[in-house]
Amino acid sequence: MTLAPLLAAILAVTGSGLAEPPVIAEPLAPQRLAGEPLDPAREARVQALAKVLRCPVCQGLSIADSPSSMARAQLEKVRELVREGKTDQEIFAYFEARYGEFALLEPKAQGINLLAWVGPMALLLFGFFVILSQVRRRGSAVSPAQGGPPAAAPPAEDEYLRQVRSEIER
Amino acid sequence: MSDVARPAPPRRTLLWLFAAGACLFVLGVLAVWWKAFGTDPHRVPFELEGQPAPTFTLRRLDNGEPVSFDKLKGNPLVLNFWATWCGPCRQEHPVLEWAAGRFGDKVQFYGVVFEDSEENARRFIAEHGARYPQLIDPTSTMAVDYGVTGVPETYFIDRDGIIRGKVAQPIDPQTMTERIRELVAPPAPDGGSP
Repeated sequence: MTLAPLLAAILAVTGSGLAEPPVIAEPLAPQRLAGEPLDPAREARVQALAKVLRCPVCQGLSIADSPSSMARAQLEKVRELVREGKTDQEIFAYFEARYGEFALLEPKAQGINLLAWVGPMALLLFGFFVILSQVRRRGSAVSPAQGGPPAAAPPAEDEYLRQVRSEIER
Repeated sequence: MSDVARPAPPRRTLLWLFAAGACLFVLGVLAVWWKAFGTDPHRVPFELEGQPAPTFTLRRLDNGEPVSFDKLKGNPLVLNFWATWCGPCRQEHPVLEWAAGRFGDKVQFYGVVFEDSEENARRFIAEHGARYPQLIDPTSTMAVDYGVTGVPETYFIDRDGIIRGKVAQPIDPQTMTERIRELVAPPAPDGGSP
């Protein structure tokens, strides 16, 4: 049995035919030609800048890594600004003037943003200090048992124990 | 029972320090949450509101003639960025058509084709009509100049060329009417924005 009658039946039921292919909606932006290409050195700079600019419609992606149409347009803008001879700072300022600091994948180290740089370092130092103090305490507690003459217990401790014992015996 | 004064060992001081640090940390996290609650984390800031609109010169889709922003100043302007591949743009197209018919005598309407081909745009206009001119932005860099984050987006620019705001979603008739009324309102006597 060939599949032709079955295929014909399916086409008849679905109302479509080989002569009339279904129209498929175009879900993506069509490819288009970008502007004039840059020389390799300037194109490398464009890509480096695009790596630190955030795509506004993506989840934490740079415009260099995003395939979205918005990122494509922004990448083309970076190319245009590099072609015009703008500095890196001028290009970052251009995007910040439109999209705020959101546009920068790496926030600037100033103001409250400093917490992002100083905070982890401060926590690390604090943890180091805590560990160091614990190690020192254990070292001083263990040293008397390591063959040396037994050190006398602190007088305050002795006094406390003596008072406790006398309370119990009473 | 007699009072027994036990000296606080240094370990207890350390625990207090830990507790204080943990409390500060938790308070800090709560402060950040409090500030962030109710805000959309995906919302992209728009910094051009109240700023002069970037100038541009683009070609018209219908006759190829250049349109310069400088020549559009003097009358309020509604700029709509759209594309044929964008479903919400198709949905809002009737609203723009209606608004262009309703307010076209007070406000200039222009569409800007974003990241799309002229052929697609022409086909769409032929099918759905357009009461207002469409401009072609070949590299879409003009859209980036305006701080566009996607399509559809509709910008409202006053007669002095100042961006009064944008709607970054398919616009509805009520929002369109309110925004246009704000745009065409006479300037306040003190010279401030209406």
